[in-house]
Amino acid sequence: MTRVFINGIDGLFGAKIAQALSANPTVTIIGLGRTTPSAPVGRAEYLTARLSGRQLRELLRIEQIDVVIHLAFAGAESPIASREDAVQQNVLGSMELLGACVGSRVRRVLVQSHTAVYGANPLNPSLITETRPIARSHAPSVIRDYTEVEQFLTDFALQHPALCIVPLRCASLLGAWSPIIDYLTQTEPHMLVGFDPCLQFLHLDDAVAGFALAALAPTCGAFNLAADETLCLSQAIKLVGKQPKLVLEPVVSLALALGSRDALGLWPFEPSFLRHSCVTDTTKARNELGWAPTHTASAALQALNANDQAVEHRETTEEALRAFLARRS
Amino acid sequence: MSDELSPTELPTETPATPTTPASSATPVHTKHKPKGRKAPHPATAPHTAAPASPNAPLVVESDMRTAGDTTPAVALVVEPDIPHEDLAAHFVEPDMRTAGGATPAVAPVFEFDLPIGDSPAAPAFTQDIPIGGSAAPEEISIRPKPIFTSLWSDQAVEVPSTDELPIAGSTASTLYDAEIEVRTIASHGNAQNAVMGEMAAGTLKLIGDNLRRMTEEQADHVTKLLHGIDLRDYLDPDFWKGIGIVLRYQADELFGFFKRRMNGQYTTDPYGMDRELIEAIRPLLNFMYRTWWRVTTEGLANVPGEGRALLVSNHSGVLPWDGAMIAAALLEDHPAHTERVIRSLHLHWFSTLPFVAPALASLGQVPGLPENAVRLLSNDELVCVFPEGLKGVGKLYKDRYKLARFGRGGFVQAAIRAHAPIIPVSVVGAEEIYPMLANAEPVARLIGTPYFPLTPFFPWLGPLGLIPLPTRWSITFGEPLRTDMYDPAEADDPLTVLGLTEMVRNTIQTTIEAQLASRKSLF
Repeated sequence: MTRVFINGIDGLFGAKIAQALSANPTVTIIGLGRTTPSAPVGRAEYLTARLSGRQLRELLRIEQIDVVIHLAFAGAESPIASREDAVQQNVLGSMELLGACVGSRVRRVLVQSHTAVYGANPLNPSLITETRPIARSHAPSVIRDYTEVEQFLTDFALQHPALCIVPLRCASLLGAWSPIIDYLTQTEPHMLVGFDPCLQFLHLDDAVAGFALAALAPTCGAFNLAADETLCLSQAIKLVGKQPKLVLEPVVSLALALGSRDALGLWPFEPSFLRHSCVTDTTKARNELGWAPTHTASAALQALNANDQAVEHRETTEEALRAFLARRS
Repeated sequence: MSDELSPTELPTETPATPTTPASSATPVHTKHKPKGRKAPHPATAPHTAAPASPNAPLVVESDMRTAGDTTPAVALVVEPDIPHEDLAAHFVEPDMRTAGGATPAVAPVFEFDLPIGDSPAAPAFTQDIPIGGSAAPEEISIRPKPIFTSLWSDQAVEVPSTDELPIAGSTASTLYDAEIEVRTIASHGNAQNAVMGEMAAGTLKLIGDNLRRMTEEQADHVTKLLHGIDLRDYLDPDFWKGIGIVLRYQADELFGFFKRRMNGQYTTDPYGMDRELIEAIRPLLNFMYRTWWRVTTEGLANVPGEGRALLVSNHSGVLPWDGAMIAAALLEDHPAHTERVIRSLHLHWFSTLPFVAPALASLGQVPGLPENAVRLLSNDELVCVFPEGLKGVGKLYKDRYKLARFGRGGFVQAAIRAHAPIIPVSVVGAEEIYPMLANAEPVARLIGTPYFPLTPFFPWLGPLGLIPLPTRWSITFGEPLRTDMYDPAEADDPLTVLGLTEMVRNTIQTTIEAQLASRKSLF
C-alpha cells in the first residue's frame, strides 16, 4: 500500500495525476489544493486549504504519507497576478514542503521542474543528460523559480540522503495553459534575427504518465521528460499557424539593459534561449521508468492553431449541449 | 513551338560554308551530293510517301501542327547512303504502328534506332525545318553529314545504370535512355534541331532527376502523365504537350515544398539537421565539388558504408569549405552509395553567430563538444573532426600544409570511448582557396572574430573577395585505425591518447606531403 500526497491537486495537472494513480488499487491518494479541483480526481481525497510548514508536517505524519508529489507552482498552469506572491508560493512553499517531509515517514519526493533549468548555452551538449549541473536563470516566469528550487534540492538531497528526491524536468507543456502557450498564441511571437534554436515540448498527458510512473518507481534522481520530436522555434511557430516577428539582437540587448522586456514579447525563458538550443536526453526516463511519450509535439502544436481550436471548441460545446438536453428530457 | 523556329532563325548555310562537312573525307556521301531539293509544301502535301527510287532521298514529314495552327511543319529529308531496304527498316508505316500505340499514327514515324557500331557506314540524315510560307522550300539545302561511330559508343557509356534508381527506377531510367537518344539524334541534326534536341534532352533529364526523388505515388502520377508519348520523338507536339503537363506538375510540387516549409511541416533531428534542406543545397555542393574544385578522391572505400567512424582531417582555407567537400565526396562518390550525411563537429563559438548557427545546424553540423562526439559515434553516425580547429583555418599562406597542434587529443578519447575507427583524411588544395597573407588582429578583436583575413582579394573587393579560388583539390581517405582493442578506461590515459593523436597527425602530414609532391599544378 502506497500513500501518495499530491500538493497542488487543484490544477488540471494534479487532478490528472490523481486520476492516473487511482487506476492502481494499491495506491491511496491525498490531495491538497488552494481551491477546489477543476477536474475529476479519481479516488483522491482532498483538502482545500493553505497550510503552513508545521501543519504540512502534521498532515504528512498523521496520514503516513510515503510519496509526495509537489506541483504547486504558481504561474505554471495559469497566469499569475503578482510575481512576488508567486515566488513566495513557489520557492518558499517548496522549501516548507521539503522541510515538512524530513520529520515524517516520507521516503520519496517528486518535484515538478522544467528542462530549461539547464540553461541555453553553447557549451551545453546538444542532448543534455540529467547529470548536467543546473544553470542560473533570470527568466521572468516560473522557470526561474524551478531553477531556484532545483538548486535548493541539490543541497537538500546531499544533507538528507535518506530522502529520495526526484525532480521531473518536463519540457514546455502543451495540452493545457503553460507559459510557452502564451508566447506561441500571441499575434506575432518574437524571434531573434539569424537564430533558430531547437526546443522540445511535452504533452500534458505524457507528463502525467511520467509522474505516475515515477511516483511508484524505486529509482532516485532527476529525470528529463520530453516528446520525441525536436522542433526549431520557427517551425513551432509556423505549426501554430503564426508568423514570427524578427527582432535584432542589439535592440533586445539595449531594451533589456534599459529594463524593458517588451522587445521579447511573452517569451517565458531567458533571452539566451532564443539563441541557443536546449534539448534534453530522455533515455534515463525510458530505461528506468519505462516511460514513453505517446503524443508528438507537432500534433500538439497544430492543435493550438487558432482555426483548429475553434472547430474543436465548437464540437465540445455541441457535445455539452446535447448531453444537457438529454439529461433534462 | 513555331515561335522558336521563326524563319529569321533558319540556318543560312550553303554547301560552300566552311562548316559543312559535305566535301569531307567520307567518300560515301559524295555520290549523293544534293542540289537543293524541293520539299513539298506542308499545306498541300502533308504526308508524302517514301519515294520509289532507292537513290532518291527520302522525304518524311512529321506532323508538327499545334492546335489551330496549320502552317508549321517539319520535313525530315534523309539522304540514303545505305541501300534503301536497310533504311526503310527504320520507317514504320502508320498501319504497322497502331499496335504499339505509342505515337500518333498520322505520320510515318522515323524510329531512331540507328545501327550502332557494327555498320561502318552509318546512315546520315539531315533534318531541315521549313516554317511558314515565307521560307521557300527551294532554299533549303540538304547535306549529308558524317557520323562517327565513336560518337555513338561515347554516348552509350553515359547511360546510367538502373540499379542506382531506387524509386520509380524503371521510369526514370526510361527517361534517361530517351534523353541519351534524343541528345544523340540532336547532335546529328542541324543547328536548330540540335538546340531543340538539347532542350528536349535537358528537360527529360530534369524530369528523370526529379522522378528519382519522388515518392512512388508521385512517380506513378508522372508516369501516367507521360503515358502515350513517345519520348524519343521530340518533334512531335504531343511530346511537348506531355512535357508541359509534367513540368506544371513539378512546379506544383515545388510550390508544395515551399508551402510545407512555410507551414512548418518538416522534421529535424535533435541536433537541428534538416535532410530536406541538405537535399536542396546538394546541387551547389556538387557544383563546387565537380566543377569548381574538380575534387579527386582516393580511398573512399576506407569509409564504412554503415556503422560508426571518426574522420580526422586537416583544416584550412579560412572558411570551412574542406568540411563541405568531404561531405560532398561521401554523398556523391562513396562506392556503397549509402549517401551518408557526415556530422562535422565545429567550434562551439560558431553557435553564437547569427545565421551561421542555424545554417550549420540544419546542414547536420554539431558543436564540437566531447559529449556530442561520443553520442553521435554511439549512434553509428559518421563524424568528422578538424583537431587543428581555428589554428588550422586561420593559418597564414606562408604556413600552408604545416599541420598545427592537434588539440589535446579529445577526438582520440571520443573514438576510444565509442570504439570507433579513426580514418585520417588529408585534404590538399583547400589551403590556397583564400590565400591569407596577414591576419588583421585589431580588426578581429574589434568585431569579435578569431581572425580577420587579409587576402589579395579580401576585404579589398568586398563580397567578391569571398569567392574562393578554383584550385584543384584532392582528398585522401587513409586506412582506418582501429580503436576497439582499447578499454574505454584508457581514454583517460594521457599517454595512449596523445600517442594516438601524434600517430594520426603524422599520417595526415605524410599523406599531404606525398600528395603535394605529385601535384602537377595548383589549378
